[in-house]
Amino acid sequence: MKELLRRSWVGPLAALVAVYALFSVLAPATFPGGVNLTTMLRQTAVVAVSSLGMTFVILLGGIDLSIGSAVALTSVVVARVLQSGAGVVAAVTLGVLATVVTGWLNGVLAARGKITPFIVTLGSMSVLRGVAKGLAGEQKIDADPHGLEHLMTAGAGAALPAGVWLTLALAVAAAIVLHFTVFGRHVLAIGSNENTARLCGIPVERVVVAVYALCGALTGVAGVLEFSTLTVGDPTDSIGLELEAIAAVVIGGGSLAGGQGSVAGTLLGALLMTVIKTGCTHVGLPNWVQEILTGVIIVVAVGIDRLRRR
Amino acid sequence: MIDVGDVQRRLLTFALVAAFAVFGCSKRGAPGGAGAKPNVPRLRLALIPKGTTHEFWKSVHAGAVKASRELDVDLVWKGPLKEDDLKSQIDLMQSFVAQKVSGIALAPLNDKALVSSVNAAARAGSPVVIFDSALSGGNVVSFVATDNRAAGALAATRIAELLGGPGKLVVLRYQEGSASTHEREEGFLAGVKTHPGLEVVSDNQYGGPTTESAFAASERLLLAQNAAGGGVSAVFTPNESTTFGMLLALEKAKLTGKIHFVGFDISDKLAKAVRAGEIDALVLQKPFKMGELTVHALVDHLRGKAVEARTDTGAELLDRKNMNQPAIQELVKPDLAKWLNE
Repeated sequence: MKELLRRSWVGPLAALVAVYALFSVLAPATFPGGVNLTTMLRQTAVVAVSSLGMTFVILLGGIDLSIGSAVALTSVVVARVLQSGAGVVAAVTLGVLATVVTGWLNGVLAARGKITPFIVTLGSMSVLRGVAKGLAGEQKIDADPHGLEHLMTAGAGAALPAGVWLTLALAVAAAIVLHFTVFGRHVLAIGSNENTARLCGIPVERVVVAVYALCGALTGVAGVLEFSTLTVGDPTDSIGLELEAIAAVVIGGGSLAGGQGSVAGTLLGALLMTVIKTGCTHVGLPNWVQEILTGVIIVVAVGIDRLRRR
Repeated sequence: MIDVGDVQRRLLTFALVAAFAVFGCSKRGAPGGAGAKPNVPRLRLALIPKGTTHEFWKSVHAGAVKASRELDVDLVWKGPLKEDDLKSQIDLMQSFVAQKVSGIALAPLNDKALVSSVNAAARAGSPVVIFDSALSGGNVVSFVATDNRAAGALAATRIAELLGGPGKLVVLRYQEGSASTHEREEGFLAGVKTHPGLEVVSDNQYGGPTTESAFAASERLLLAQNAAGGGVSAVFTPNESTTFGMLLALEKAKLTGKIHFVGFDISDKLAKAVRAGEIDALVLQKPFKMGELTVHALVDHLRGKAVEARTDTGAELLDRKNMNQPAIQELVKPDLAKWLNE
C-alpha cells in the first residue's frame, strides 16, 4: 500500500477522480457519460502528445518553450504541402520533419552551445512563430485535408477517433523507452545529476540533443493532430500550449529540477486540465472564473502532491 | 394466479406513478414564467462569440439576453478562453454538443474550419445559427449579420451627397483576406459607380492590422495622391483601425475638414472627431440587434416556425447632427448594465 502511494501518478489520479466526481455532481445531466468522455479525450490529444515530449525534456532538467510555435508551424507546413497537391504522406512527413529539425537545433544549441535551454527555446519560440506566419503569408491556409480530418473526428456514438488511439500508443511507447531502455536510464541519470552522469561515462551531449529532437518529433505529431482538428493551417494557433504541457508534466509529479516525472502522471495531468475546462463550461461559469479556478486547482494539486511525498 | 411478487410490483408501479404525478405537479407550479407550456422542456441555447472582452461582443451579448428573457429561454454565453483562438472555439462547439443544448449560435473565427463542427452539432440534434461572420457551407439554420455591402454603399451615398458633384475618392482598404471589410469596400466602390462624376483615384492600398500600420499607409497614400494640393476630395475607410489611422494622418497633414471623410465603427476618439467636424460620418453596425435577432432566429426554428436563411441586422450613419439622438446613442453606448448585470 505504502509502495503504491509513493508512485508519482497516484496523486494526479486522485485529483482527476475527485474533480471528475465534483463536476458530475454539479452537472449531472450532461457531464458524466460516454459522449462527453470521448469529447474530452479528443480535446486532450494534442496537449497530451506534446507533453510526452515535454516529459522527456523536463526529466532531463531542461525545458522547451517552443512547442506551441512548433505545433502551429507543423499545421502550416501540412496545409501548404497538401495545398501543393503532394498528398497526405508527404504532408505529414514534412510536417513532422520540420519540428524534428527545429528540436534538434534546440538540442545542439543547448548541449554544444552551452546556452540555457530556457533562453534557447525562448528564442526559437519567437523564431518558429515568425517562420510559421511567413510561410502562411500571415493568414490561415485552407487546404483540402484529404481524409486527415478523420484522425480527430468522432466515430459513431462514443467511439474513440484514431488520434486518441495514436496518443495512447505513443504514450505506451514513451513509457517503454523511458523505463526499459538504456537511453531512458541515461535521461533519468542526467536529470538527477548531470556531473555524476558524465563521470559515469554517459554521452551527455548526445543524449540531450536526442531528447530535444524526440520532443520535436512528438510536437510534430501533435501538430498533425492539431491540423486534423482545425482543418486549416493556422500560424497563430497554440499560443501558450508550451505552458499547458509544462503544467501537465508538473501536475503529473514532474520536477522542473529534473530527474522526476512519469508518462502516466503527465497524461493524467493533461486530462485533469481538460476536465476542469470542460466541467466549467458544463456548469456555465464565465471565462474569468474558469481561469482563476484552473490556476488554483493546478497549484493545489501540485501542493498536495509535494506534501504527500515529504 | 397472483403471487406475492406480482402484487409488490404493482404496488411499486403505483407508488412510482403517484410520486411522478406529485413531482410533476410541483414542478409545473415552480416559477418558470407565465408563458411556459407544460410538458415542453425549457430551451437551453449556447452562444459562442469570437471573443468576450470587446465592446462589440458585449453589445451582442446584451441583445441576446434581452431576447432570451422575452422568449423565456435559457442562454449560455461562452467565448473562446483565449480571445480569437480557433482551437478553443472548436472545443467549445464539441463541448456544447456533448451537453446536448437545444441549439447553438456561433460567430465563426474561420469560415472553413468550423464547418465540420457545425455539421456534427446539427447531426447530434443541436441546430446552429451563424451570426456576425459567414460560414462556407455547412448545415446552418440561418445567417444573421450586417449586410456589409449595403453598409459600404451607405457610405458611398453619403459621400456623394457631401460632394454634391464631381470628386476624387480614395479608399484605404483594411487587410487582405478579411471578408467583412472586403465586402464593405466592394459595396462602397459599387455605390460610387452609380454616381457619375465621382472618380476613385486609389483603391489598392491596405491599412494592415494595427492603427500604427494604417497611419503609415494613410500618410503614404495622402502624399502619393497629392492630397494637400487638392488631389483628393473624399476618403472612405472600412473599419476602426483604418479610420483612426486615416484621422491621425489627416490631422498631421492639417487636412481635416478640407477633405470629406466617412469611416466605419466607433470609439471615443472617433466620436470626438465627428463632434469636431474632422470626420463627416461613421457607419455603425448594430451589435445589440444582432444578438436579439440571432436568439429569435434560433428559438423560432426550435419552436417550428419558418426562419429566413439570411437576416440583415442593418447599419446606420452617425454624423454631427444625429449623434446625440437617443436611437444613435443606443448604438454608441448601449445600456449594457441593464442586461448584463455589470
